[in-house]
Amino acid sequence: MSCDLESELTAYVDGELSPQLTTAVRAHLAGCAACRSTEALLRGTVATLDALPAFEPSVGLRHSVMERLDAPPSTLGERLRRWLPPSVFLPSAAVLVSAVVVAVLLTSGSLGHRLPAELRDSQALDVAMNYDVLRDYDVLGVDNPDDVEVVAQLDRLEGGP
Amino acid sequence: MDADAELMLRVVAGDRAAFASLFDRHHRGVAQFAFRFVGDRARAEELTQDIFVKLYRNASRYRPSAKFTTYLYRVAANHCLNEVRRGEYRVKHLSTACEDDEPLETPAPEAHRPDHQLAARELQSAVGRALAALSTRERTAFTLCRFEGMAYRDIAEVLQASEAAVKSLIHRATLSVARHIQAFQAGADEPLRSRA
Repeated sequence: MSCDLESELTAYVDGELSPQLTTAVRAHLAGCAACRSTEALLRGTVATLDALPAFEPSVGLRHSVMERLDAPPSTLGERLRRWLPPSVFLPSAAVLVSAVVVAVLLTSGSLGHRLPAELRDSQALDVAMNYDVLRDYDVLGVDNPDDVEVVAQLDRLEGGP
Repeated sequence: MDADAELMLRVVAGDRAAFASLFDRHHRGVAQFAFRFVGDRARAEELTQDIFVKLYRNASRYRPSAKFTTYLYRVAANHCLNEVRRGEYRVKHLSTACEDDEPLETPAPEAHRPDHQLAARELQSAVGRALAALSTRERTAFTLCRFEGMAYRDIAEVLQASEAAVKSLIHRATLSVARHIQAFQAGADEPLRSRA
């Protein structure tokens, strides 16, 4: 960028500059062909974007939202299933099913009573297997106090220090 | 206090009709923002639902000292940013442009001619590709400015950034989109290198 005022051109086109800076840019444009070219490009782009058809949501959107207001908030497990892709979730689910089968077999036999309580609970297994994802508050967007409590206690649930 | 803020205070008190009024006033803008942000019609509608449900369930967090639209678009922007982050897991294979067989919405009168419809659809796709090439913060600032008509000062509040930072984001984004459109109109796939 050879002109100091080049970075002001978009704000100039948008009418977002102070009166003093607007005057300075206008004076600069009178003598700078390169900036006049950039200004024309920016104005043309803004006009093109203004002419784009607006996105019109479907008529059922209002009903869908109002219906959801009555539904209980989704659980952490439901959100995990919604957010995780099949490539992650399906192997996890397969492992979970295997773990549950093993747990059932063990609990029906003499070894069952030796399992820690956490491993007899399928929800706890789910948490344990998705530990890395669960730790990321930003990825989850956790806002339910119960869910936040679960995430805050992950180390304990995972059996860590 | 503006009318939206008054409605929101009624929502805090559990007034479902007030929420419906807020939805009617703002859902098109939020849906448009989500569509330009993620570039996919179905996901934009899902996101719009999520944003309004979140707005309702967390209504008590709203403080009338904040302009309602600023608050609404902060919720919307954060939700869309989170969606894009999650996209690292599941969305990268999805199109970021308007799908070819989708009809255009609210077209201009002259857009009824088939050749105009095709050109408009291709331009929509080119704009979708241009937006996808921006950083998420550039895309947020650009979308709020160009499609929602928000002032830089309000965008700065949404992004919790300085006005100078927003000015820089919008300048870079507008130049980038301008180059993409210029390349599209010149028949090239990639943006032309320009002085700007």
